[in-house]
Amino acid sequence: MRDNSKLKTQHSKLMYGAFGHIRSAIMPRAPRLVVRGGLMTWNYSKKTTDLFMAAVQGRPGTHLGEIEDADGFGEHGSIACGDALRFSFRVDRDADDPLKDRITEARYLTFGCTSAIAASEALCSIIEEGDFTPIEALKITNQDIVDYLEGLPQAKIHCSVMGAEALEAAIFNWAQKRGVDLAELGIDISREEQEEGRLVCTCFGLTEPYIERKIKELELKSISEITNAIKAGGACMSCHHTPGGLQDLLNKVWGKQPATFKELPVLPMAREARAQPPREMSPFKFAKLVETVLDEHVRPQLARDGGDLEIVDIKDQVVYVGMKGACSDCIGSNRTIKMMVEQALKDRVDERIRVVQV
Amino acid sequence: MAVIYLDNNATTRVASEVVEAITPFLAGEYFNPSSMYEAARGPADAIDAARKTIARLLGKARPDEILFTSCATESNNTAVFGTIAANPERRHVVTTAVEHPAIFEVCKDLERRGFEIDFIPVDTQGRLDIGEFVRALRPDTLLVSVMHANNETGVIFPVEELSRITKETNPSIVFHTDATQSVGKLAIDLRGSFKHVDLLSFSGHKLHAPKGIGALYIRRGTRCRPFLLGGHQEDGRRAGTENVAFIAGLARALELATESHDADVARITALRDRLQRELVERIPYLEVNGGDAPRLDNTLNIACHFIEGEGILYQLSEHGICASSGSACTSGSLEPSHVLRAMKVPFTAVHGSVRFSLSRYTTDQEIDTVIKVFPNIVASLRRLSPYWDSERDAPTPEALEMLEQTEMPEARA
Repeated sequence: MRDNSKLKTQHSKLMYGAFGHIRSAIMPRAPRLVVRGGLMTWNYSKKTTDLFMAAVQGRPGTHLGEIEDADGFGEHGSIACGDALRFSFRVDRDADDPLKDRITEARYLTFGCTSAIAASEALCSIIEEGDFTPIEALKITNQDIVDYLEGLPQAKIHCSVMGAEALEAAIFNWAQKRGVDLAELGIDISREEQEEGRLVCTCFGLTEPYIERKIKELELKSISEITNAIKAGGACMSCHHTPGGLQDLLNKVWGKQPATFKELPVLPMAREARAQPPREMSPFKFAKLVETVLDEHVRPQLARDGGDLEIVDIKDQVVYVGMKGACSDCIGSNRTIKMMVEQALKDRVDERIRVVQV
Repeated sequence: MAVIYLDNNATTRVASEVVEAITPFLAGEYFNPSSMYEAARGPADAIDAARKTIARLLGKARPDEILFTSCATESNNTAVFGTIAANPERRHVVTTAVEHPAIFEVCKDLERRGFEIDFIPVDTQGRLDIGEFVRALRPDTLLVSVMHANNETGVIFPVEELSRITKETNPSIVFHTDATQSVGKLAIDLRGSFKHVDLLSFSGHKLHAPKGIGALYIRRGTRCRPFLLGGHQEDGRRAGTENVAFIAGLARALELATESHDADVARITALRDRLQRELVERIPYLEVNGGDAPRLDNTLNIACHFIEGEGILYQLSEHGICASSGSACTSGSLEPSHVLRAMKVPFTAVHGSVRFSLSRYTTDQEIDTVIKVFPNIVASLRRLSPYWDSERDAPTPEALEMLEQTEMPEARA
């Protein structure tokens, strides 16, 4: 994700390689497990709210925190995007073979909504309960998190995806620290370069290669499924149907013809159609003259009472002035001042001038 | 668990007096007010009486200037589309960057249809940039639509001034104000300070009448085509059988609001100010959105840095407290509130905004409860936040650095 915050996001470094087929199997299961419901009301499972409440109350068995000198560390999201997860784990190191390391402890810090926090708890619980090696843990998918939570509302699926992404970032980090060559295990690590492609969703900083990969892996079939899973297109929505936008990416992946776009007719703007009234002076000269008259004939008078005025705008023969200093507080004399300014300008610049006090 | 209802800018409890006013027209006098027989006279008279009451309470407007609609959204749509239809030669609209979606989205749609729209920005306190407003105005502007009080922050715009400036620029520019949040809370005098306002929208359910009733004031002589076509109801300006019961309820609600206005204002302001003072005192890194601007007395919009509003709301609701948030997770979009972004609320706080909106039914004890539980809720979420150092109970150094950036990092159209 593109952002200026200090949280680095590492999804572009993530890889699935040999495990891609596991991921691609998850979405068809979703409708059965996902709690349907409106966007606005809480439709969380009891498991989700229980985990959330346990976390905020800091009950025993919860996983709040950050492991110092963690064996694996990964982040996903940012404060600007509305949710961020910092995930770390410790392993029981195997003296001979790092692939036999076992994850013993997992911790998180999460900025986000109820389901983002519950998903973080779920992720840590799944990992600690499973007694996984890091490579085994790579198989944990966002759907496993959804299952653990006994379902998530469709619009909150991205919270589970955030968990899976941070986990993978952490495992990649572990591999680096332990000198494990993931490429040798058939896990594709060349993803990073590919994903620095064309920006499609500018709001969340998501590129074409990343979105395309996610469409395939999570079997996303519609724009709303994309938004629910990875947030792309969920803010300004301008990337939905533009050429090269989300619909085109869906069509590309699932083999449909790109939609032909009909440019909406843009009606002629009033600004162009508007006839300019004939005027002897150029607008520049007119404005200059107004200013000179105000400087020489009006401001000195106002200054005597500790007041002043400013020109806010001039349109045709309408001059908008704002009162400053003592004049701005003096309600009684407003009308008098306006008349005085208007008269001075009528006499010296153009008799059609009107003054509007701002 | 008792409900502590502090979401009165979303909707309000229906006053028992309003229920009394409505009831006769549900079971007993159900007749269609357009019918000719004697029995229909009761409902027809009730509508007339309600129209007179509402016109009188808005500053001696004429009864025939009040149009009943189904909601403020319909009133707003009628105002905009009705004005456009009546003035086809003009295509320029001035509005603000912080309007309610019932105007904001309508204007966005007009923009797509080729209209020219100026969205006037606000400052960090939510005050309208009057200079920008003046510069946007043109003698051939079609419509100016500026809300009276903001639903999220309660910030009040100087509609009196803006409408005068508009009319002095060109009397044929139509001036509309969405007064949904202010009717019943602020005095509105359509023959006095609001004499330059042509169209004014509001609805019943923000002032203790039921949902499903709204009104649009149309100053006599203003060109505005009907939005709903069909029957001849409302003098042919809005087709559809009148919602007699709720029309009676709306009038009763406005009467009640006017009667108790002075007492309500004093009490609600005291409660809101106490809530604000106590929360600001107890919670570090808290912004009061619009705190320095003229504001509705009942609204408190705060933003807590480094946490997300949805988790706050969930925990509040565990205590029975109803409030709302401008965070992305509660907005239906994945984007935080356009109002708070227009105010350039720091991006570290914009997701952590909470709005409390009080009513005349809010009690001291309810505010006490919020003051007691809210700081703990904020602390509990900060403990979980990667931007908060729990040991020092302060933001992390990175988070502090982010605080200095005030705007959302993404440049959004």
